[in-house]
Amino acid sequence: MAKAFNLLTSDLDVSSESDLSVSSRASNRSLRVAEKERRKSEAEDPFLLALKYFSEVKAGTPWMGNDVLERNLVLVERMGLTRGLPPEVISTMLDYAMSLRMGAPCVRVLKFLIPATVVPQEAIVRAVAWLCVGKIAISTQVLFLKWVLTFFDMIDSKDHLRSIYGFIFNFVTEEHLCPYICHLLYLLTRKDMLHQRSFIFSLSPQGRQPFLLHLLSLYKVFCPELVTTALPSKLRGGFKNHVTPWKGVLNAIQKRNTGQVTSDIRLTIGVKDGSNSRKRKCNHLQLPSLNSAVQRNLSSTNSRKVFPLEQLHSFPELLDNLHRIELPSQMGSLLGSSLALCYLDYVQDDSAFLRLNFWLGHALHEGKKASPYAQNCVLPVSTCQNCSPLCLFYAYVLSRAPQEGFFSTESFLYKFLNVWDGSLLRPQILGLLSHIPVVPSSCIHQLLFEPLMQLFFSSTLFFKCSVIECLNDMLLKWLTWHSVYSVEDGLDISLNSHTPMNMTLSGFMDSVMELVLFVGRLATVGLQLEGCSSLLLSFVLDFYETVCDMFLKFELPLVVMPPVGVFYPALFATDPVSVDRLCFIMCRYKQNLTAAKFQQQEHVFHISSQTYREFNRYQLLMVSTLWNSRLFQPGMAVEVDHNLLALSKVPEPSASFTLIRHPAFVGYALDFHLKCWPERKDMDLKSVKAGKHWEWYLEFLFSHGYLGLQQFVQSNINWHPGSGTKSQGQGDGQPTNG
Amino acid sequence: MDQSMKRTLQRLIRRIPFQLLKTTLSKWAHILEEDLLLLDFTQPKCLFTENLLSLCEGKGTTVKHITELEMIYIIENPNQVMWRAFQLLDAREDAPSIELTQFKEQFKAHLTELNSHVSIKIKKHTDEAVWIRIAWGDNFTKPNHLKPTYAVHHLQTPYVFVTGLTVKHKPLLNQALVLTTRYGSIKDASLSGRNLVAIRDLLMRQYQQVFPTKHPKPLQEKNHVPTNPNIEKEQIENTENRLQMACEAFGDGTLPQLQKAVYQLETKFRDNSNRTLTGSDEPFRGVVEFTSTNLLESLRHAVSSGIASTPVTPLLSSITQKGRNYFVVTDKGV
Amino acid sequence: MSLLKPFSKLPELNTANILLVENEEQFQQILAETIVLLKKNVNVNVRLARSLPLPIENEKFRPRIDLVVFIINLTSELSYQSAEVSLKFLDPDYFLGKVCFLVTNARNASVPPERLISVRKLVASLHCPLLFAEDQMTDGVNTAAHRLLAILKVTSGHVPMATGLYLSSLTRCTVPSDIDQQNFD
Repeated sequence: MAKAFNLLTSDLDVSSESDLSVSSRASNRSLRVAEKERRKSEAEDPFLLALKYFSEVKAGTPWMGNDVLERNLVLVERMGLTRGLPPEVISTMLDYAMSLRMGAPCVRVLKFLIPATVVPQEAIVRAVAWLCVGKIAISTQVLFLKWVLTFFDMIDSKDHLRSIYGFIFNFVTEEHLCPYICHLLYLLTRKDMLHQRSFIFSLSPQGRQPFLLHLLSLYKVFCPELVTTALPSKLRGGFKNHVTPWKGVLNAIQKRNTGQVTSDIRLTIGVKDGSNSRKRKCNHLQLPSLNSAVQRNLSSTNSRKVFPLEQLHSFPELLDNLHRIELPSQMGSLLGSSLALCYLDYVQDDSAFLRLNFWLGHALHEGKKASPYAQNCVLPVSTCQNCSPLCLFYAYVLSRAPQEGFFSTESFLYKFLNVWDGSLLRPQILGLLSHIPVVPSSCIHQLLFEPLMQLFFSSTLFFKCSVIECLNDMLLKWLTWHSVYSVEDGLDISLNSHTPMNMTLSGFMDSVMELVLFVGRLATVGLQLEGCSSLLLSFVLDFYETVCDMFLKFELPLVVMPPVGVFYPALFATDPVSVDRLCFIMCRYKQNLTAAKFQQQEHVFHISSQTYREFNRYQLLMVSTLWNSRLFQPGMAVEVDHNLLALSKVPEPSASFTLIRHPAFVGYALDFHLKCWPERKDMDLKSVKAGKHWEWYLEFLFSHGYLGLQQFVQSNINWHPGSGTKSQGQGDGQPTNG
Repeated sequence: MDQSMKRTLQRLIRRIPFQLLKTTLSKWAHILEEDLLLLDFTQPKCLFTENLLSLCEGKGTTVKHITELEMIYIIENPNQVMWRAFQLLDAREDAPSIELTQFKEQFKAHLTELNSHVSIKIKKHTDEAVWIRIAWGDNFTKPNHLKPTYAVHHLQTPYVFVTGLTVKHKPLLNQALVLTTRYGSIKDASLSGRNLVAIRDLLMRQYQQVFPTKHPKPLQEKNHVPTNPNIEKEQIENTENRLQMACEAFGDGTLPQLQKAVYQLETKFRDNSNRTLTGSDEPFRGVVEFTSTNLLESLRHAVSSGIASTPVTPLLSSITQKGRNYFVVTDKGV
Repeated sequence: MSLLKPFSKLPELNTANILLVENEEQFQQILAETIVLLKKNVNVNVRLARSLPLPIENEKFRPRIDLVVFIINLTSELSYQSAEVSLKFLDPDYFLGKVCFLVTNARNASVPPERLISVRKLVASLHCPLLFAEDQMTDGVNTAAHRLLAILKVTSGHVPMATGLYLSSLTRCTVPSDIDQQNFD
């Protein structure tokens, strides 16, 4: 390991470093003098006497059989285990233990060093100084680092600790300490700290432990130019939540200090029987609570003190303390508090997102240490539906819509899709799915489409609708990101600032194309299987409303027409709304295509003539079907033999889908007829077509809110209400009677 | 209170789980209710024990009190230890006439005759069971209260359940028991388990059994759930057959909880490819152990669901039929 | 050895028959009860079997089976083996869209990942759909029942313009290639 690192610290400011510790000591000393005076008055208090003993005991005093030591030790130990120790006691005892003044009891002292409120950072700075002396046994050093990591959130402020960053960094070369040091550095690192130093890393292959990689990836986020080695984009493993001996006692003490003692004991007695084992199983899925026991009053006296996140109660408080907030060591705790999320939004800190991502990955994939098979997607949702980090993360995503890719959720989703039954956590899964960043077209099939397709076709109508809706959302998000983030020159867009994935415009267009075609296939077969259900059709049309406007709304030079399997069911739908929406979509296509044709000359992009042809065919068919009664006639898209049509015994088959006889509108036609000629006994719908009545009928239809139809008629058929003149548009002004 | 007593009490408190601590201590006559209020049950156990020790010190606690507390705990929670069953054989005609006081006196007399350095405490529990606690010592040491033996005997039955018995003290206890209960001899019943009530029920046949008959009662009677006419089982006879078999072997009520069944094989090794083992005179030994939180229930399920083949092998069914869970399988049979 | 054949009997009017094959009989039973209680416009009969071949004596009364579902409990090796053996007693015609597999306990932590992969490979080699079910939850059972019913309606010919073969060509299982396994991690 020592060889693996090549470390250069360019400007370690040693002199200021030592100044600082001297001054802090001096201030400490004056504190101690004051304390001493107070102590004189309370000389009888055995606890204070014990402390005095520890602060003044001479180095080299024997500890074997030292009764005074034992008595004092027990006194402090008992205090530590029951109520926790106040800050000054922590610093005295830590100094005593780490200085090894009496050798052996160091481990024992560390074990009962439970802070009641905060850990003064000076104590840690001094302890690190003792660590540099190097007399302490490795196992004890590890224990000390574990102690620091456990109580990291309780350290009152970290600026001095940060100023000895370089010293701490030196320990990275120590093989046994490395994982803990990396974790500590990971928590301490700030962007500005890396600017003054330059680290050059050369990693040998065996140096690629996950904890190192995590630290390096953080460095890379801050200063990409410093980290030259290529890092894998997706990291596994990472910093373990080490089982430390202090957690249990700390919880007990904190509960005690907040005065929930009586209720708590009853709970543990009553509840413990059955649920215990299960609770333990999904423990990793529970959010860590925000706890750093930093006291409010302490922080207000000193401006550089940390403001604990869990004490934020209102937005103004957040604004006042923005500069003093520290991220907690357990990033998941942020998800539970809306103010903390506000803060996260405000800082837009890359490292914060990186750390949140790591936490999620840990919670979703690796939290289940009990299982050796980390590949399976174990998610005991049945037990804790509401506290699952997935749900909370989903809520977070919903409220922010971040552009950041949280690839730990992505890879979780891809895996989960493969074993999904289609109902478990459906809203969350589909919601998260719609938020995934653009998937490269090379793997979109394997990752997304295959599993989705298998689920889609074997599921209920409701699920099918949800999937289409989800894919529509996904497309919308992709397009929005494109329109927001694409660089002006239009060729290279970087969609994702937090993942190493960059995408070219053509790559992006390929992915969008794949997605649109995929939905086209799903919709075609889905509509067929569900008997052209108008509910599903409505979701499909939603999707195409997004697709038809890709050029004008999102500046993506791509126009994709719906497949016939969607077009015909919509055109011949029995509900007027579907036909109306199809008309609207066709109008938008027309506008997009016209605009594209106009701009094509100046820009490099190209829209295939195939698309124009397809559009024209649809357009012609619609006009001739709805307006001109020329369905089934030669030259149209749908050609049927005359004899065959005659067999069906339908009178005037080619006019059976005009605006009057179309199953969706025939009701309106009858209604109109009744209103025009209330006295007539026999229905003659043909009379609606004649002269003024036709205009009135169209007005009648438009007045029912069929604006898409109105737009379609107005833009494609040169028909002027009132004038009644024929013109040379695609359609004729007056419908031909067929 | 000397050091060994302190240690005994400390160990005992350490054994009792936190949630049982309060109830157990409240039953201990030695500590009054107001004393109990002084104790803080939210403390870590080591501190709690220290407080309790200092409280006891003030009250002049003796070994007797501590053993009493231990007995309270064990009687209330017999499922924390492993019990072995013993069977008394060849009852003399006056055996059924023995009653509690007589038993107490005679047992103490017989045992102290064999080894005078024992401390015996006998207590009768509500369900006719006599609980005996023995702390063993010898000529050079005082009775060791850290490792006592417990024996539970139901008067007028030929069974004794024992826990914590060493090989060294086994003959002594056996002799005292045989003499006191007026039986001819005692033998290991090859049955052990954590659930005292379960192994007692199994031995005394106090659970619902089904006896094999020539005319099995139709299972339809038991199937209360009317099946939907649209559901048809292809292999229904098979299923019925299996259920019947499972019932015959294990009964159809709730079953006593056993934790394991052990089969020790001592058979001749037969495999032509392995000359050395096949030719050997020594029997080939192997142990097969089934474990479960409720073994009999699992076995019945295994049979009725078809995981185990039917008819049920006598090796499995004899757990209930013979009331044993330790078997030695030799070439001649069980 | 008697093969179960899909076309040896005439279909009945407005009826669909589904055969659930599961080595353990519990989930099978629950699923069957859920399926028959679902609201539907076809008369659905469920037949349950532990394994194939089916007993010959029922041959006469057994209707034409429109869909065979093999239920595999991933936590049990036996369940997988039993399904594998039973497959041999199915006429090849069935594999033209009238067989599907339902896997339970796939998310269970104690399942070795290789077993899921081998199930995938088996199902993919037979070109059948592979469904997953959450058998511990009522919602999961309901969803599974709905999905099976949807497939059954197609395979029994109650959905115009769609056949079992058509559907299964869309839904059949695929084995993710190794490259993507790496991608996942």
